[in-house]
Amino acid sequence: MNLTELNTGSAKRYGMIVDLNRCVGCQTCTIACKHSNDTPPGVQWRKVLDVEQGTFPDVSRLFLVTGCQHCAVPSCVPVCPTGATRQREDGLVTMDYDLCIGCASCAVACPYQARTIVHEKEGYYAGGQTEQEKQTTHEDRYGVANKCTFCVERIDTAAITGLVPGVDPEVTPACATSCITQAIRFGDFADPSSTVSKLAQDSRSFQMHAELGNDPQIKYLYEVPQSTPGRAADAADLDDERQSDPANPLVGKPQTFWDYRAAMNFVLGGMAAGLMLAAWLAHAAGLLGTYALRAVDTAAAAAMAVGLFFVFLKIGRKARFLYVLLRPQSSWMTRETWCVAFIYPALGASWVWPQMAQGALAIVALAAAGFLYCQARILYASKGIPAWRAPLMPAMLVATGLSEGLGMLAALSVTMKPPLASLVPVAAAGIALALINAWLWQRYIAEARANGIGPLARGELASTTPILRGLAHAAPVLLYLPCLAGGAAAAWLAAAAGVAAFAGGALWKLVVILRACHVQGFALPMQPQRGSGKRAAPERFSMP
Amino acid sequence: MAAPATPASGERKMVPLYCNQCVCGPDLFKVEVKDGIALRMTPNHDLEGIHPAGGRICVKAYGLVQKTYNPNRITRPLKRTNPKKGKEHDPGFVPISWDEALDIVAGKLNEIQAKGLRDEEGYPRLAASFGGGGTPTRYMGTFPAFLSAWGVMDQGYGSGQGAKCFHSEHLYGEFWHRAFTVVVDSLNCDYVINFGSNNEASGGVSGVWRQADARSRGLKRVQVEPHLSVTGALSGEWVPIKPKTDAAYLYALIHRIVLERNWREVCDVRFLKEDTNSPYLVGPHGYFMRDNASGKPLIWDLSDAKAKPYDGAIADAAMEGAYMVAGYEEGPDGERWVHASVEAKPSFELMREHLRQYTPEWAAAECDVNVETLRRVADEFVAHAKIGATIEIDGHVLPHRPVGVMLGKGVNNGWGGYQAMWGRTMLACLVGALEVPGGTMGTKVRLNRPADNRLKSAKHGEDGFMAYPFNSTKKDEWQSKPHIRNAYKMLVPLSANSPWSAALGPAHLPWLFQHKAPKPWPRQTLPEMWICYRTNPAISSWNAPEVAKRIAEFPFTLAFGYTQDESNWMADVILPEATDLESWQMSRIGGTGSAEQFWHHQGWALRQPAVAPAGECKDMTDIATELAKRTGLLKKYNEAINRGAAAMALRGEGYDYSLDPEVPHGAKEIWDAVAKAASHETSGGTDIHGIDWFSEKGFMLRPFSQLEWYLYPRMKEQGLRFEMPYQERIKRHGEQLERRLHEVGIEWWNPQLKEYEALPGYLAFPDIWENYATELGRDPKDFPLWALTSRSMQYAWGANVGLPLIREVAQNVSGHDGVIINRATARKLGIADGDPIVLESASGTTRGRATLREGIRPDTVLLIGQFDHWATPVAKDFGVGSLNSLTDLALSLTDATGSGADIMRVSLRKAPA
Repeated sequence: MNLTELNTGSAKRYGMIVDLNRCVGCQTCTIACKHSNDTPPGVQWRKVLDVEQGTFPDVSRLFLVTGCQHCAVPSCVPVCPTGATRQREDGLVTMDYDLCIGCASCAVACPYQARTIVHEKEGYYAGGQTEQEKQTTHEDRYGVANKCTFCVERIDTAAITGLVPGVDPEVTPACATSCITQAIRFGDFADPSSTVSKLAQDSRSFQMHAELGNDPQIKYLYEVPQSTPGRAADAADLDDERQSDPANPLVGKPQTFWDYRAAMNFVLGGMAAGLMLAAWLAHAAGLLGTYALRAVDTAAAAAMAVGLFFVFLKIGRKARFLYVLLRPQSSWMTRETWCVAFIYPALGASWVWPQMAQGALAIVALAAAGFLYCQARILYASKGIPAWRAPLMPAMLVATGLSEGLGMLAALSVTMKPPLASLVPVAAAGIALALINAWLWQRYIAEARANGIGPLARGELASTTPILRGLAHAAPVLLYLPCLAGGAAAAWLAAAAGVAAFAGGALWKLVVILRACHVQGFALPMQPQRGSGKRAAPERFSMP
Repeated sequence: MAAPATPASGERKMVPLYCNQCVCGPDLFKVEVKDGIALRMTPNHDLEGIHPAGGRICVKAYGLVQKTYNPNRITRPLKRTNPKKGKEHDPGFVPISWDEALDIVAGKLNEIQAKGLRDEEGYPRLAASFGGGGTPTRYMGTFPAFLSAWGVMDQGYGSGQGAKCFHSEHLYGEFWHRAFTVVVDSLNCDYVINFGSNNEASGGVSGVWRQADARSRGLKRVQVEPHLSVTGALSGEWVPIKPKTDAAYLYALIHRIVLERNWREVCDVRFLKEDTNSPYLVGPHGYFMRDNASGKPLIWDLSDAKAKPYDGAIADAAMEGAYMVAGYEEGPDGERWVHASVEAKPSFELMREHLRQYTPEWAAAECDVNVETLRRVADEFVAHAKIGATIEIDGHVLPHRPVGVMLGKGVNNGWGGYQAMWGRTMLACLVGALEVPGGTMGTKVRLNRPADNRLKSAKHGEDGFMAYPFNSTKKDEWQSKPHIRNAYKMLVPLSANSPWSAALGPAHLPWLFQHKAPKPWPRQTLPEMWICYRTNPAISSWNAPEVAKRIAEFPFTLAFGYTQDESNWMADVILPEATDLESWQMSRIGGTGSAEQFWHHQGWALRQPAVAPAGECKDMTDIATELAKRTGLLKKYNEAINRGAAAMALRGEGYDYSLDPEVPHGAKEIWDAVAKAASHETSGGTDIHGIDWFSEKGFMLRPFSQLEWYLYPRMKEQGLRFEMPYQERIKRHGEQLERRLHEVGIEWWNPQLKEYEALPGYLAFPDIWENYATELGRDPKDFPLWALTSRSMQYAWGANVGLPLIREVAQNVSGHDGVIINRATARKLGIADGDPIVLESASGTTRGRATLREGIRPDTVLLIGQFDHWATPVAKDFGVGSLNSLTDLALSLTDATGSGADIMRVSLRKAPA
């Protein structure tokens, strides 16, 4: 649904206007929000950044209100595997703390740094919570995703009281009613007579990261009416030096939601799914017997289980982990889990009813393919991390998973009796996959800047590239090549190639998930004309 | 005390109170209380459309809930057990009962009463310091009535004022246009030149709200300051000027207007002629030429080529040229020079001659700014002044001059402050933009009377100007010995003699003279008892570490304590007061006040115990009553309350809510009587309510006309002129003061005496600070950078450095976690963002972390707020530096008004890891 459709109907679309010309960065909204919403230490649903741009003596400074944008097309909603995050008819993106498992999919899917997860209950003072803090603590908000709700409880009382959100302070978000400059205005964009609609109509505004397609519902005004039009961002504001300054509040920092535990699922699960798939293909090609296939799948399933166990360790609300199955309509995480729900029973069946092994293992292979694809889409759907949401990411994860799986099949082959019937097809496929992976990586880093991956993340990728080229690309090719000719050493060479492919795959996934994982920063495509030197407002000898 | 507003169990209640943590209040809020615990705060939306900022409150007010439940609070009276005092000595405080604590304090006070309130040197034996801007009085209940009952005491020990306040502005502002603080009527203004006033951080909710409205309307502000402050950020243009050269910039702007442009075309000539002393003729000795018969200053009427008394029928007053005139000049001490015929010039002509030297090119070099920009700013200023335009205010037509000039604290304090003030006020006069809608205007009075009505304080004085309560410098009237330790009556004629004057004198001198007094000077004794309330001079003063040492020398200190801090570390007794959400008080709201508090209403608001006081904390009113009782002052104390010493008179025309002076009264009973008197006053006797009504409603208001915002109509009504540009009275006082001081052998105030010029000249003000190192035997070259400070809205005035919540949100604003340094400067010194650094001045050292920014001159570093705490819980772990550890108390850094400036020359280096 887009706004044009909404305007013709009676539906509401709540949103905000933030006037950059009015905001003084005082943080009153920040603290009023903390009061109104009882957020714990360090959590700010509404935060105002102090942004400086330019170089002395041509400098400007402004204050940028940030927080959940209650996007019309929210990227956090479809990724939620439980339905805890939803979008209401009136546009509000809501949180159901009792459904959330704390997987942080929404947090990494948000390009506006809106979400937080707090695991430990703490007070502001070292000695524990004060009486007031105890009274304002919400047990249900620990271990789950939190974000600005637009003070939904207030808005919802409007239906009872007849008051108007955006007009009456009782039913208007705390940040807007506390703002000491009226820089933050709240209201119904679907109502053309609302203050926010009029402000949006009368002044030019921008949406943050409009290019990402979320249609965020905070519109930033950037002009001084009647006098000074806004100006576009200066090239110098966007150059690599400013974008790599950790003190620049516009620059995204590395995400901390998914740590090594979450990464383990991509490392082990991706490889394992690839292995299941490769083994089945080898079986189909007559290189591997049914029971050998079952043994390989079992080993792969064990690796996958380890990866999944790590993820289990990471989620905030472990007792609710089964809720992950609730949103197959939209969540790739749910779908991935459903694939798991096929893999293990099918594999189990192949052991319990050996006569059905052939069919059961085909199901395992099919589910593994699904698993690998879902996993690729999980990372790709994480719109808040430019390095993850790159268009090539699904292809890279799938190709890597296959390369790793094939490689591990080659490696396992040396332990199998009999080993694979022939290594030539394996080596040929391995070389092809290594080359594909090399090409994909090359494209990925070449397109990184264009895809919005910032210089800090690009730096991480660049420093990994030489190792990756050696380990994941050159080594498998060089080691697989002799295998094409056969020979005594072929099995060991292929095994080495496979291990290199796996190590290389693990390396880049770890780097991308844990190092090049800078969240989407903030942008100011337009801003008020003010500052010193070249940035100063234009000359003005009389009022227009 | 159980609070009546405390709701029953489980019930939620919104309790109305006010916040007056800074001078921009009171602002009103509501606190949500459940089961006797204050949970959350909201603005008081009942004031939407009434309060100038829609009833909203600033970030600081939201700290009050955490302030109430701060686990580091002192909640029982404490007694010192370690007789040794000093930063390095643990005071060894032990809890004692209220009875014991009050007995100790009362015993000390009774001892003083028995000996006499003044000591053998004539100094008060009791001294007291209160936090800035009068805000503590909004929390201290009836304690002022106790002080009033007590009598003589020394309130002249500063807590940082002189550098931290708008010092020259307070004095010259009240002198020239009844403006204790000066603002711009941003509601009606289109163009502002702002020299370092950080009003977006310091203007309170009303100032910030009005400025935002003005920006949206199209107001352009040019911010002239060495670093890009929050206010600079919101300005159309930032001019990075060299510190302390603002007066040069101002003079060049005036030069541009009156010498390069055709002043007759661009200035408000009528205003200059009729409403200022521009046409007053000045004789060869630099005093006004006076009419032999009436003694009135003369004006040359071009229409009939005659000199006439200023209030005569003058058709065309001469502004330029020189005229041969008969009359006399009256100099210092009644000296007269009678002239049969002598050349006299209009003061405007003298001003133009005076300013001829201050060209834009000269200023550009002095200020290190662009000369084209300077000329353009002057031209934009006059272009926006709309000479001749009018505006209707509440049915009256007033001039509309939508241009203003603002000065920051560092600009108008200390050397150069007089010049900057004069330049600003002159710019306003040139275009008739003083005290009219859209222009530069005052907010309230503190030195003139009546205190609650600045317009009525504009009364007829000499020579067509407003009267001003100068401290006399005449031979027989001059205060020849300090009556309190800062000697304001003796040294600073402009500081007047109101209850505020002690705090507006050279309030750092007692600290300085306690260590090393100049000669000659009467021996400065220590006060036998020093009271410290809602202030922490050991952190907030210039050279705070030095002040901490001086506090340690006091024989007996009574502190009213919230948490342990650096000043009460030296206390002998600490009494815990019930704080903001825990005690009773009524305060005036509305009318006009600091920082653009321009209301259309005025009245009263209540602060009440929304929750029970923590531990044994006591309401200040009850503490005051107990002290009065124990010192035999109860009757005088009650009478002082009845007289209005704590709030307003309880007995007046047509009403009497006064208290029985013979018996003690509880806090609620006292404030109930105040509530009745206040509602009587507000409603004209038609709607009288006690404290319970206010507990529910929170406030009571009546209309206040916008006409009362502006002084100009009152000036016209009284036939008064603004005393600009020529400062005959200042010159005369200076010459008389010089004689008086020299008569008693005092030569050490000579540099300050030079400031008393009729047309203030520019000195190379930066040199004063650059050369200061020499005085301490150091090489100025070792201190190549300027260190400045800037307002933190989140912390200022709030005594809230112990609140981690405030720290959390404050850190979103750059500079709250480190010293702001120009990136290029830091690069040269090998300093990266976040590196530990050391700043050293000739007199002190501070440490912090580097915060690298571009919005600061390469020769300047900035330390926001004031920190360097070493005793205050939470704050002592901040690790950010403080300018107060770098500045010094010194006569050479003190100007004639007794103020210094928050500025110092420093060296910067990376600290060893």
